[in-house]
Amino acid sequence: MSSKDFMKQIEGFDRAREEMRICRKYGIDYTVEKGRAAHLMEMLHPRVLHLRVGAVIRETATASTLRMVPVDGYLPPFQAGQYINLFIEKNGVRTSRPYSISSAPHQTGYYDITVRRVENGFVSDILLDTVKPGDEFESTSPSGNFYYNPLYHEKSMVCLAGGSGVTPFMSMIREVTDRGLDRTIHLIYGSRGEDDIIFHEELKDRAARYGNFVYAPVISEPSKSCSELSGFINADLMRKVLRDTGSKTFYLCGPSGMYDFCMPELEKIGIPARRVRREMFGPPRDITAEPGWPKEVSGAAEFSVSVRGGKAVKARAGESLLSALERAGVVVPALCRCGECSMCRVKLLSGRVFEPRGVLLRKSDRACGYIHSCAAYPLSDLEIML
Amino acid sequence: MSDFDAIVIGAGNGGLTAAATLAKGGAKTLLLERHNVPGGCATSFCRGRFEFEVALHQLSGMGDEKFPGPLRSVLHGLDVLDRVEFIPMKNLYRLVIPGRLDIMLPADRNGTVEALQKRFPAESAKIREFYDLVYAFFNQLISVFYLRDPEASREKYPLYFKYALASSQEILDEYFTDPLLKLTVAAYWGYMGVPPRFLTFSDLAALIFAYIEFKPYHIRNGSQALSNALIETFMNNGGEVRFNCGAAKIGLRDGAVAEVVTDRGERLTTGCVVSNISTPVMYNELIGIESTPKEKYEEMRGSTIGPSSFTLYIGMDCTPAELGIGETTNFIAAHEDMDRAFTQMRDIDEPAMILVSCYNVSDPGASPDGTCQIAVVDLQYAEPWLAVPPSLYASEKYRYASKVLDLVERVFPGFRKHIEEIEVATPLTHIRYLGHPGGAFYGFDQYAKDSRLVNPPVQSIAGLFHAGSWAAEGGFQPSLTSGSSAGRAALKHIGKRGR
Repeated sequence: MSSKDFMKQIEGFDRAREEMRICRKYGIDYTVEKGRAAHLMEMLHPRVLHLRVGAVIRETATASTLRMVPVDGYLPPFQAGQYINLFIEKNGVRTSRPYSISSAPHQTGYYDITVRRVENGFVSDILLDTVKPGDEFESTSPSGNFYYNPLYHEKSMVCLAGGSGVTPFMSMIREVTDRGLDRTIHLIYGSRGEDDIIFHEELKDRAARYGNFVYAPVISEPSKSCSELSGFINADLMRKVLRDTGSKTFYLCGPSGMYDFCMPELEKIGIPARRVRREMFGPPRDITAEPGWPKEVSGAAEFSVSVRGGKAVKARAGESLLSALERAGVVVPALCRCGECSMCRVKLLSGRVFEPRGVLLRKSDRACGYIHSCAAYPLSDLEIML
Repeated sequence: MSDFDAIVIGAGNGGLTAAATLAKGGAKTLLLERHNVPGGCATSFCRGRFEFEVALHQLSGMGDEKFPGPLRSVLHGLDVLDRVEFIPMKNLYRLVIPGRLDIMLPADRNGTVEALQKRFPAESAKIREFYDLVYAFFNQLISVFYLRDPEASREKYPLYFKYALASSQEILDEYFTDPLLKLTVAAYWGYMGVPPRFLTFSDLAALIFAYIEFKPYHIRNGSQALSNALIETFMNNGGEVRFNCGAAKIGLRDGAVAEVVTDRGERLTTGCVVSNISTPVMYNELIGIESTPKEKYEEMRGSTIGPSSFTLYIGMDCTPAELGIGETTNFIAAHEDMDRAFTQMRDIDEPAMILVSCYNVSDPGASPDGTCQIAVVDLQYAEPWLAVPPSLYASEKYRYASKVLDLVERVFPGFRKHIEEIEVATPLTHIRYLGHPGGAFYGFDQYAKDSRLVNPPVQSIAGLFHAGSWAAEGGFQPSLTSGSSAGRAALKHIGKRGR
């Protein structure tokens, strides 16, 4: 008896067959599924956003807001605090930088990103000096998980900002106040001088108008006439501004030095780790000053990186592997550029790299030699696989 | 001369075992994966101090070295057993209906029978008889279906011929009275996606038999460790993998596979493709509606897209013991009506039955000391989520997640207070990362009419093979196994015998 024949003797076989025959007769025409999933994702998480600069708004001497409007008329929704990774091309080099969106989520006509000049910043120089209305860019869709999560965050939020780290909070503050949301925000915002404060007038204005928003700028190098709080965001200052530190979730966004300073201060006032949310921060300005950097390697040391199946590339120890690859025209997807999201993951086949603190690598990735190229600095000649 | 002997599209469970099988068999193989990480569902992601397992809850079919299950043999053949650690669980699951039922079944036949008899003494004799039936039936199934006994007949294997396509609910009704008992025995139905009324007894018996005999397993460092190990096997045997590179087209010539065009526009010639993507996407997008044989669409017409899930990935700032969690696998049901629970998979109002997996119970290294990692799964079809406007998507996610956490709190009070990280995935998240219609990680719904007994797979495009949940049934073991079978069939097709 052939296998087909004995199957037919199973009880219920004919019934199931008949059921299938009827279902096929009246069933689903799957040709209509064509393109459906892709279309759906274009509404929520498009792979690429095409943005045009609608306006350039000067905020301070060193910072401007670029108001980005959609080229095709649609921007996906985001949660206040998320960022886009903006792609920039200059002299044949395509690189990218993540920028928090500073406009509110309910403002669906544009995304504001606010850029502050970075010393010797290849990208910030381009964005601040050469970009004008009408220029077009590509970016990723909004990403990241630095936002208010009602499932376990307190309704009372304390936002600790340093410098341009105020941008994600600006989006949150605008959302909470404009929409009359049932949350309170304390913003403690550290800047070097009074002139460096971004959004100062708007923040003062909102604090005056809304009872659920408290604004406390803190100046580390105050002028003689400065009337704001001065110093750094330490335990005493937080106690003074907040009075009660219980039942609050703390959010930190600023340069890496600020995290090193503020985390122990938060511990001093008894804030448990689960109530502290930290936005990622970019690579340190000088990687060779990071703890653990091998002293015998100079930041200027140059190594050769050979890409399996591709070309060989020159890379300096003081620059991330991702940047070196981009400079040489090798395409590696990138998103957070802070070592966390794993988009720029490559396999290290031979050689050594330095990985700074804060890199989130899967355990089995580490065991198999994968690295996040945005947070890996060559310490020898390398061979990698994309 | 082709560019490659074979091209595998998709590095999910099925694609990985297919690719590793092909490379080990001496075929010059290319593996394309549009993501930057291999694994498909079998992956992990990092948040804060935690690395979250995305999809694996209880790996079936492993068995131990003395009594290896079918999956262990497959993985042994792919050289990963010495590089990946598989951790057995002692128990099947704890099942709770708050205030009404709380029972734990060990991964042991007698232990399970006794636990059930203790809780349901009035049905004591029938409980023993039911498990006798499951075992006797499944042993017959092994002889007929897996070992292909040439003398198979109704007389020789009466149980098989009587029950193979029977509705599991009818058998549960025949043996048991208490609906709580029926739910306890059949709680694994969620691993198949259809309730006992629609689940063939072959499938229910397989779940019960396999998990008891071969034990449920977890993987050290999560399923990503297995995915990474399979990639290593593939590369060590000369395979070439391209991440961030999807397939855009499968080109046919005279009805046979001739080439694959990548999403970067590169044309690669090959006579053999193993597809590890969903069947509708493969025909609609890669082969094209015009080139797909009509009968393939006819075949699909009769099947429906299976469920996806609403999943919470949670990092806790305390140990499982502090939460009162003593089992890795916990089912929490709001009620005992499995048909209604199935209906509730199509709305986003109230969760009916959730799975709470706390990996640290069997693997203390699943997260840093003093913390634990938990995944909460609620099976859901994508439809209601497709109707949520993008602007309300985030708030709907939080609203429903809150309901799911309410149900968790009824069994583990104080749960919310310990959340340190949480990430919410919906069926839309699964659509985004898997590319499957409906985010259906189990593939098509598996009703009796969809059984392979009724519809033996037919190959209609020469050189095209399928691996993964859309070709087999859903779940890790079936996907991994289907890939190695597809790989072997592909080797035969290209004239390599394999090693």
